[in-house]
Amino acid sequence: MTETMLRVNDLVVDFSTPSGNLRAVDGVSLELSEGETFAIVGESGSGKSVFARTLIDLLAGNGSRSGSIEVGGRNIDELTRSERKHFFGVEVAMVFQDPMTSLNPVKRIDAQLTEAMRYHLDMSKSEAKDRAIWLLKQVHIPSPEKRLRQYPHELSGGMRQRVVIAMALACEPRLLIADEPTTALDVTVQKSILDLLDELRVDRKMSMILITHDLGVARGRADRIGVMYAGRMMEVGATEALFSDMRHPYTQALLDSIPNPAMPSHSRLKPIPGRPPNLLDPPKGCAFAARCRHARYDCLEEAPPLDGPDGPEGHRWACFHPVGTPEGEAALAANLQDGETATGLPMNEVGELV
Amino acid sequence: MAGTGTAHLRESDDVLVRVENMVVEFPISGGTVHAVSGISFDLVEGETLGIVGESGCGKSTTARATIQLPKPTSGSVHFHGDDITTLSGDRLRKVRPQLQMIFQDPISSLNPRRTVREIIGEGLKVWGENDSWSLDTIDLLMESVGIDPRYGERKPHQFSGGQCQRISIARALVLDPKVIICDEPVSALDVSVQAQILNLLEDMKARYGVSLMFISHDLSVVKNISDRVMVMYMGKTCEVAGADDLFDRPTHHYTRALMAAIPGADVNVDEQVLEGELPSAIDPPSGCRFNTRCPAATDECRTDEPQLREVALGHFVACHHPVTS
Repeated sequence: MTETMLRVNDLVVDFSTPSGNLRAVDGVSLELSEGETFAIVGESGSGKSVFARTLIDLLAGNGSRSGSIEVGGRNIDELTRSERKHFFGVEVAMVFQDPMTSLNPVKRIDAQLTEAMRYHLDMSKSEAKDRAIWLLKQVHIPSPEKRLRQYPHELSGGMRQRVVIAMALACEPRLLIADEPTTALDVTVQKSILDLLDELRVDRKMSMILITHDLGVARGRADRIGVMYAGRMMEVGATEALFSDMRHPYTQALLDSIPNPAMPSHSRLKPIPGRPPNLLDPPKGCAFAARCRHARYDCLEEAPPLDGPDGPEGHRWACFHPVGTPEGEAALAANLQDGETATGLPMNEVGELV
Repeated sequence: MAGTGTAHLRESDDVLVRVENMVVEFPISGGTVHAVSGISFDLVEGETLGIVGESGCGKSTTARATIQLPKPTSGSVHFHGDDITTLSGDRLRKVRPQLQMIFQDPISSLNPRRTVREIIGEGLKVWGENDSWSLDTIDLLMESVGIDPRYGERKPHQFSGGQCQRISIARALVLDPKVIICDEPVSALDVSVQAQILNLLEDMKARYGVSLMFISHDLSVVKNISDRVMVMYMGKTCEVAGADDLFDRPTHHYTRALMAAIPGADVNVDEQVLEGELPSAIDPPSGCRFNTRCPAATDECRTDEPQLREVALGHFVACHHPVTS
């Protein structure tokens, strides 16, 4: 049995804003084994980045958290002040989205890369430099000695992201959080960066949380996937199970809205109507109901719990009328008969939202 | 490729735009950036031409130089039969309303201090059509792009990114253009909204009879919206083909590498990932510009630049060793 690397229990993150309380993450629980990759997929505003940042204790000043986070068996709230210093950035490290802004433009690569090692691992300047060269080789940067003396602007976007990954790996983290690590990059570079992360994860038995808006990236790289919407986990499951038995109408809608390269050109796309809910004034029931083909009146009353037949280990979804189940079919048939969903979204005769 | 040639240009009466051997260079201290080096393409009425390639391949520069922003260093751009590179001043200005553009970032491309109605109506005002009839035009356009005309007095920050992109589309359509250049118009949007905007572009194309030049780094998006696709690498053309044809039978090694990199897609292309970095556009490789990263490169590729040639009906490739199976 592999060790549980990360255990998040009922995480809630609130931000107090001038317009009121905003619940960015609403009761997310997660377990991650050693060496496992878990992808969190969601659109902008789904809370996926806030979730990631909360794990590494980077919560903005107006934010507050409840629920427990255990990394490698240690509850992060029980760490002493000095332990915290050498916990975040060492045990848990993060790769940020934009390699243009996550590096300091006026410091050379060597200064940025060695800083953490000298601080956390108490290395001498020359030890840290040797290790920096080794790390750049690990992330496949050619002529690392030369690169160390350069500034970020002298490197391409892909190179910069490799440097950011090298920085994250400097202290041998056991858990790596990659927040949209390839979103700013070209597809060819994206593939090489994701390959690199995979390779490093296997070599080091590292666990990884991959935050992405791209279901394709998640499908190709993750062992398990969680789909987030409006701060909640809508569907969680092993990658294959999730794609073969997609249950949540949101996951389905998200997948359907992406142009499929296997379809002929000019195929009509199926967008998701409407917009995500305003989190300052969240809906009472299911957060997706206002955009959902399956929405029935019970969806407006209370938010469905995240559950599934195989318990917390298996494929789970937060829906009263899941796709591909009798409940889901019945909801669809009822909406079809009414000509609209319970939230008033009009439907055409073939059950598509119009 | 990454080569030149004009074999793919069509001789037809409904060719709207015909670009031949367009070169765009930018002088910098210590050299010249060869952004676009002899690109040729054409666009027929009602067609969508997709342009794909990685960042820095010159796809945006190609599109911008087509509408003379900036004027190309050399080469010709025929629009309705006239070479607009030779026009200037008032004569060029008269052509401009027919060539419009939609940009990537929907929020920063709208003036934050103007109301939506002012933004959409700006072109009409500039062209002296600021009467009550044009007010109806604006309302009608707002409705057709899916923005409630009652919100006409609101400002861009009161709209979401997708709605701002709808406003940009309305602004581009207001002067009844012939061609709209869409420069990564959905790259900043969430996938659910991306689908709304792509569908809207298709609808607007049918309704207003415009032709599109659609630039994107996302191959799936380009395939969905385009009739014909041009693949670019370092300011040169690699491959030009119908959208479905290109995806079914990618022939250029670069096109194949791009397709192999699409995440999670069931595209069955057996091509390795590109190694190495994009060479410098100040000192591009000789011969085929892709030779430094191409798995099939030979000595010939390092000295002779391949010309576009037809490998199947309507399918052109600039490669000495294309993959034709």
